[in-house]
Amino acid sequence: MDMNGQERIAAPIGAVWAALNDPQVLKNCIPGCEALEKQSDTEMTAKVVLRIGPIKASFEGQVTLANLNPPHSYSIQGEGKGGIAGFAKGGADVSLVEDGPAATVLSYTVKADVGGKIAQLGGRLIDSTARKLAGQFFANLGTCLNDQSVGA
Amino acid sequence: MNDMSLTREEREAKLEGMGCKRKRVEDIRFTQGKGNYVDDVKLPGMLHGDFVRSPHAHARVKSINSEKALKVPGVLAVITAETLKTVNLAWMPTLAGDVQMVLADGKVLFQNQEVAFVVATDRYAADDGVAAVEVEYEPLPVLVDPFKALDPDAPLLREDIKDKKDGAHGPRKHHNHIFEWTVGDRELTDAAFNKADVTIKEMISYHRTHPSPLETCQCVCSFDKVKSELTIWGTFQAPHVIRTVVSLIAKLPEQKIHVIAPDIGGGFGNKVGAYPGYICAAVASIVTGKPVKWVEDRIENLTATSFARDYHMTTEIAATKEGKVTGLRVHVLADHGAFDACADPSKWPAGFFNIVTGSYDFPVAYLAVDGIYTNKAPGGVAYRCSFRVTEAAYCIERAMDILAQKLDMDPAELRLKNFVKPEQFPYHSALGWEYDSGDYHTAMRKAMESVKYAELRQEQAAKREAFKRGETREIMGIGVSFFTEIVGAGPSKNCDILGIAMFDSCEIRLHPTGAGIARMGTKSQGQGHETTWAQIIATEIGIPADNIMVEEGNTDTAPYGLGTYGSRSTPVAGAAIAMAARKIKAKAQMIAAYKLEVHEDDLEWDIDGFRVKGLPEKFLGMKDISWIAYNSPPPGMEPGLEAVSYYDPPNMTYPFGAYICVMDIDVDTGVYKVRRFYALDDCGTRINPMIIEGQVHGGLTEAFAIAMGQEIHYDETGNVTTGSFMDFFVPTAVETPKWETDYTVTPSPHHPIGAKGVGESPNVGGVPCFSNAVNDAFSFLGSTHIQMPHDYWRNWKAARELGAVG
Repeated sequence: MDMNGQERIAAPIGAVWAALNDPQVLKNCIPGCEALEKQSDTEMTAKVVLRIGPIKASFEGQVTLANLNPPHSYSIQGEGKGGIAGFAKGGADVSLVEDGPAATVLSYTVKADVGGKIAQLGGRLIDSTARKLAGQFFANLGTCLNDQSVGA
Repeated sequence: MNDMSLTREEREAKLEGMGCKRKRVEDIRFTQGKGNYVDDVKLPGMLHGDFVRSPHAHARVKSINSEKALKVPGVLAVITAETLKTVNLAWMPTLAGDVQMVLADGKVLFQNQEVAFVVATDRYAADDGVAAVEVEYEPLPVLVDPFKALDPDAPLLREDIKDKKDGAHGPRKHHNHIFEWTVGDRELTDAAFNKADVTIKEMISYHRTHPSPLETCQCVCSFDKVKSELTIWGTFQAPHVIRTVVSLIAKLPEQKIHVIAPDIGGGFGNKVGAYPGYICAAVASIVTGKPVKWVEDRIENLTATSFARDYHMTTEIAATKEGKVTGLRVHVLADHGAFDACADPSKWPAGFFNIVTGSYDFPVAYLAVDGIYTNKAPGGVAYRCSFRVTEAAYCIERAMDILAQKLDMDPAELRLKNFVKPEQFPYHSALGWEYDSGDYHTAMRKAMESVKYAELRQEQAAKREAFKRGETREIMGIGVSFFTEIVGAGPSKNCDILGIAMFDSCEIRLHPTGAGIARMGTKSQGQGHETTWAQIIATEIGIPADNIMVEEGNTDTAPYGLGTYGSRSTPVAGAAIAMAARKIKAKAQMIAAYKLEVHEDDLEWDIDGFRVKGLPEKFLGMKDISWIAYNSPPPGMEPGLEAVSYYDPPNMTYPFGAYICVMDIDVDTGVYKVRRFYALDDCGTRINPMIIEGQVHGGLTEAFAIAMGQEIHYDETGNVTTGSFMDFFVPTAVETPKWETDYTVTPSPHHPIGAKGVGESPNVGGVPCFSNAVNDAFSFLGSTHIQMPHDYWRNWKAARELGAVG
């Protein structure tokens, strides 16, 4: 499954970059994320509850950041196991471009694979669910940064 | 004495013999919810098993940790390949000469492959246990596309046989190659192509699908440690074969194994094979000393036990410019999945696919089939067809239409021009079969007249013009198919399963009051054997069908037989019934001659007894003869009236039929409407016309499903994306078209009652008929072949690719 998109976030590039590297912000923004713990600068462990069609499963796994080019781009890779529900793995290339001093355009391309029961039962729902989740994540990120800027 | 006040017609009607639309006796219990299926078997202390299955299509199994599972309340055991190795059962032989993992041994080769078997006190606990087993996988490159299986750098799937140069059917060319099977004369065929006026070539795929009976595969195994006896209740289309296979695998004496197939809720080929669930339940019962039940759920059934088809057929026909076929050349790439577990007679790795010359007089033909491994479920069963016969019929019927299109001839006319003629039977086909009988021209013409074929073509021409003028967005297709099946496997000279010749059997025992019981080696899964078998006996020996009880499925009481699949029951067991009945009749005739004080030759059979020729009042009925047989037989004759017959058929039978479908497709939505479907079947002698009609309705509905959407689809990473009835098309009454049925009768010359088998014909003839209708609809827009299944989306896509959607 491949997805790509663009979001305009009303925050300076530095703030967006910082948020994308902050486990607490990521945890708040990833839909269904119950835990996200930093192991090192580039490694985290995560627990995400996903619901696709008739299947609801808790995925536990590793998240790794790579190709770091602050504050312009990075890749985020993840792999999670959901027991008998199956597994999910994937990654996103994220890049940031300044749109004036107070705004940033975030572009992403996502490649993800799912396997096991979620793929068998949720097949026709996976693409739309993934698009919805990606949309939610960036909407959350925008809200979060706006809150921060309001707070500052 | 019989009641002579009745007329001959009344006496005959009372028998409800062959030709009678007798109501199905088994339906009395089925329609009242009183059937007895495997899941109804509930034994004291019975345990339940369930599988841990692989989410990956190809992966190394690094570790299996059962610790947490064993702590789940109710879980008693977790069986893995390591456990099975202690009893030498981690792998099992397949019917096709390959071996198959019972539980993952080091790696998994398809999604949902069995990895561990959890045994618990109830099904819920077993499921919780399954969720708690921790398996660590290391994913490997996945091979899904059969056309990439033989690439030099294709992933190695079967490490267990990587150095094996020879398989069960000859040399292997590649690590993912199973066999190459060739039939026919290559040189003569090539020569025919070299001098042909016209040739066509098309890659015709018959996609992977699944028999999907409503009742899934299941069993209850109970091992008696004191007697060392194993009893298995299971959904078995071939109970005796299962007993023999279990005996060979488990090294138990055959008399210590009792296999019982109770009522079965549909089989369609899915219940022929032996599956890991059976082995695991049996081992679990031996280990725990308690009965163990295993019942597949729907996803497991669709994704793990026995798919069907997955044949990719590159087909070429050579012909004269007048439309006379001169040669046929077919290469098949046969996707067998991870293990070769096809349920074909052992010497036939591609089943009877060499019936691919169909109903046409091809002077020469050449066929090559390459079987290959991929990361998909094993199987390859004959889903409501004789072995690979539906693939063959689809191949030739589609190809004939493509040839007609190239020649600008009407497809029905092309068929009539090339049919084997009535005087050519018995007909020897270029690929080695001897067709027993047929009258194809009569059947085709009757079909064409019945649907007013010429008028339909005129209407289609007018609609096409209207479409071109932009007056309609609907296109009309007329599908024609004319199939010849090969069923009734089979003669021992060319058919066996693991060395067991494919005869079948019947044992009839008449009781003193003129009633009786008949036991068979076959096993009904809904075909109505309890009804039809009694009808054959009724006609043969004049005992009313209502007075004959038919029993099947218990290996302790039924005579040995090879079971029910491939439309073999009527051609083989049906013949055994007639032969056993005739043995009884012969003894009855001796008794009647003695009692009527005449020579046997002076007697003639008259509906339900013997009459002295020329003396109509001197008559002895079968009811009386039965009593005499036990209580006052002629001196020197042993008492009793029973007989057994084991029937080894001299040839297969060759049912045929002409089907026509009329369909309209909306190019903007891809939505199709089946306006009309007419099916003419010739199955030889018709035993019960009502059951035949029911069989044809069911078979056509399955054909409709397959052609128009039913598919086991894998994505590129090996996920099954059609693993439930949400995505796997099973038509309900809402989608199912109305069926019109018709018939001709060309009895089989070598079968005792002339019957040929019918249950699978509509699937064999129906699939090409639907597909030809879709292809015919699109042909004027420039397409030659659109692959099945023809669901709305694919129709819309085809319309768009052909420029019909703006």
